[in-house]
Amino acid sequence: MKNIEKIAFQFPATLVAALRLQANEKTRGKLLAGGTDLMVQWASGVPTPERVTSLWNLPEISAIRVLADHVEIGAGVTHAFLVDCQPLRTHVPALVTAAGTVGAKQIQARGTLGGNVANASPAGDTAPALLVTDGTVVLASQAGEREVSLSQFWTGYRQIAARPDEIIVAFRLPKRGKARERFRKIGTRRAQAISKVMAASRIRVEKGVIVSAAIALGSVAPTPVRLTQVEQFLAGKKLTPALIAEAEKLAQTTVQPIADIRSTAEYRRWASGRLVRDALEHL
Amino acid sequence: MSNVTRTWKLNGKSVTVRAPAGRRLLDVLRDDLGLTGSKESCGEGECGACTVLVDDEPMVSCLIPVGQLPNGTEILTIEGIARKAAGRVIQQAYIECGAVQCGFCIPGMVVSSYALLQRNPKPSTRAIRDALAGNLCRCTGYAKIIQAVKLAATRLAKRTR
Repeated sequence: MKNIEKIAFQFPATLVAALRLQANEKTRGKLLAGGTDLMVQWASGVPTPERVTSLWNLPEISAIRVLADHVEIGAGVTHAFLVDCQPLRTHVPALVTAAGTVGAKQIQARGTLGGNVANASPAGDTAPALLVTDGTVVLASQAGEREVSLSQFWTGYRQIAARPDEIIVAFRLPKRGKARERFRKIGTRRAQAISKVMAASRIRVEKGVIVSAAIALGSVAPTPVRLTQVEQFLAGKKLTPALIAEAEKLAQTTVQPIADIRSTAEYRRWASGRLVRDALEHL
Repeated sequence: MSNVTRTWKLNGKSVTVRAPAGRRLLDVLRDDLGLTGSKESCGEGECGACTVLVDDEPMVSCLIPVGQLPNGTEILTIEGIARKAAGRVIQQAYIECGAVQCGFCIPGMVVSSYALLQRNPKPSTRAIRDALAGNLCRCTGYAKIIQAVKLAATRLAKRTR
């Protein structure tokens, strides 16, 4: 792969060094973590950048912290590491399930959460699971840190709200508390498949009544999306078979998926409703 | 272009390579070091034919720029696994179960099988399927490969008892 060999690679040993490189236009490089998306794109002929700044193995962005009401996951944490992290299974289970559906073991060992989010594919597996937490992305630059809500982070097809000098360093995700979470991905096969549709949910029911509902879908729009209309419809209502049927229908009418190589618009619309039903039937 | 010099523990031995930082680990293994056991099939991380162990984790060597592997990284390829007792048990099980047809996917299959059995000596069928899900085979239909991993697990359990 001669085109990749021509890239000038930079391997900062610390986050501070990486931020310094990214602050200056002359030293700024395309950010590369585990390479499971970018290396594939470059191998397939997508033009390569002149410079790359590698974030692989940066210690400051590779930790998981479990705090009182939220978890903080470093952007450099791999999917394999997420899958094996017991506390995350308790507090953000949909994210752990989602990480386990990325590619297969070999890809999970290299792909990172920050990379999956920065790649900003509407089919990014972890995106719906992150969205339902109402969490934030922590961005760092030489000017300091700032937090952006995940719901505002994907601004368009493959676009994110990070400035060129910023690096995603972590995700702050409120714990699920008494809510239940679920993640389902529909693809051609269980491993190595890019999704046709997927759904994550975080729903809290008390005494048969839905107290709060967060539902997100992937692969049905240019960005991962929250189904706010469905969520608002569900909030405060008694969980009954009739309500589930209505929510399924509402989901099918609110999504505007496209047809592409992986699926048709009709199937995606139908499956979106079924996934909402699935989430409500498993509370 | 930026060249890097890296010293790794490759198949138990210290090896120093000098290559463009973006050169794929697969090319360094096959073309620079002559370790042609790792195969290239898809070149985009889908098929697993180029799977190697990097610090004990199975990874596809076609997606790793060598610059990202720091000094001291431990790499185990099919050539290294072939010299290990457990590797030979897995190889024999694959032969006896008829798990090999054209054979092109087999080095990657064996590396993933080895990684699984190191971590989980008594894997369920589900665990075997999960561990091998990133290794595609166009010939066998997988059933005999899964049988082979089970047979290898049984034999390895007896040896360690």
